[in-house]
Amino acid sequence: MAEHTVAAFDEDLGQISRLISDMGDLAGSMVGGATKALLNSDNALAQRVVSDDAIMDARQRELDDRAITLIAKRQPMADDLRHVVGSIRMAGDLERIGDLAKNIAKRVGTVGLTATPRDLSHSIDAMAQLVLIQVQGVIEEYAARDAAALAKLRADDERIDVKYTSVFRELLTYMMEDPRNITACTHLLFCAKNLERIGDHVTNIAENAYYVLTGTQLPANRPKQDETAMSAPVA
Amino acid sequence: MSQMLSPDMTIAAEAVAKAKIEVKNLNFYYGQSKALKDITLSLPERSVTAFIGPSGCGKSTLLRVFNRIYELYPKQTAEGQVLLDGQNVLDRSQDLNLLRTKIGMVFQKPTPFPMSIYENIAFGVRLYEKISKAEMDGRVEQALKRAALWTEVKDKLNASGLSLSGGQQQRLCIARTVAVKPEVILLDEPASALDPLSTAKIEELIDELQADYTIVIVTHNMQQAARVSKQTAFMYLGELVEFDKTEKIFTSPREKRTQDYITGRFG
Repeated sequence: MAEHTVAAFDEDLGQISRLISDMGDLAGSMVGGATKALLNSDNALAQRVVSDDAIMDARQRELDDRAITLIAKRQPMADDLRHVVGSIRMAGDLERIGDLAKNIAKRVGTVGLTATPRDLSHSIDAMAQLVLIQVQGVIEEYAARDAAALAKLRADDERIDVKYTSVFRELLTYMMEDPRNITACTHLLFCAKNLERIGDHVTNIAENAYYVLTGTQLPANRPKQDETAMSAPVA
Repeated sequence: MSQMLSPDMTIAAEAVAKAKIEVKNLNFYYGQSKALKDITLSLPERSVTAFIGPSGCGKSTLLRVFNRIYELYPKQTAEGQVLLDGQNVLDRSQDLNLLRTKIGMVFQKPTPFPMSIYENIAFGVRLYEKISKAEMDGRVEQALKRAALWTEVKDKLNASGLSLSGGQQQRLCIARTVAVKPEVILLDEPASALDPLSTAKIEELIDELQADYTIVIVTHNMQQAARVSKQTAFMYLGELVEFDKTEKIFTSPREKRTQDYITGRFG
């Protein structure tokens, strides 16, 4: 991409890109940290994730300020406009990912007190790995400007939805087997739901990133495989 | 993600709009120098079309071909066709006075005649029509109202047109253009010499006028083109690079040259 006649314009856009990249890295580290803390009952790590959320919020506010100042000062057009507006929206999703990771981290203490999470959370572990790959992937593919990879990544969210359905069923089974598991499993269900929501925010980011890069929207309909709503009455 | 409006719907709506001006394979020469290269485009009726591009790209030249004002200067020639309602205005048989009543023009610098506000408007009308004083009064009032100037000048119609502010003078020129009941209005950088408030008034006026007139505006102000027009043509070095719906041009243009120009990446 050629440089702008006004060099400061490129610097302003570059700062916004860097903030998105930083927020993406932080989101990846928070999601990874929160699930690791959950599986290992690591309270210190959970505390770190909780405190990281304040950094995430501050980054988002900084990005908002910079983006709005840039729009006011430079009236961006075409790909520049998409870049700035897309960044504002992606930052919103990254901030929500941070919130959801923090929410998982805050449950670590409670789950750890009531049961051995490792035994109850085999499939959550696998689900968390899928989510983490998606979070890290979306920021990498956007930085690499790979629209095709972003479209594929968005479709891959389906795997998380499938996994979520199986985690849901597994945890229900543990609860039916032994009511003493109910407290821990309920917290784990919320954790699984949070992971599934993180996956949804990743698809939003992928859609925004795709639009920023190509100027066209991905088709509205994406296959949905979350069947927990249907299996709920069975419980 | 929330859904954006399908762009296809607007395409379908525009396909119905009748073409007011059709330019076909137009070439234009200043002496030996070719200023327009094989331009073909179609301007829909009762709609605003913007021409953008760097200085010297041919956008003003194209505008000047529509009413053949270029013929006032020596050694300027146009080849090809410019159809106004299907009639080629470049035909030798074309009555130029009639053409210029149909296609009015407003320039970058306000050009009021050195006469009263009233006469600025009546002068042009008298060239084409013989009407009574009462009818003329009505026509002047109507034109000034149409140009959103009436309330500001109704108590001083005998004051000189030159006593008005720049923005008012420009609206007086628009009123003068509207008074002879044109079908097309050409605006060549109509707001570039005006302050933001006067510019906003001109833009508001353009928005209202498009209900009745086909409007073509040349502007260096890209935000202005984005605000006022339905279609935008990007020209460069005498070529029509891209012509599309305005929202498409300013959010995701097809051509890299368009993108580079509107985002400020031209060297």
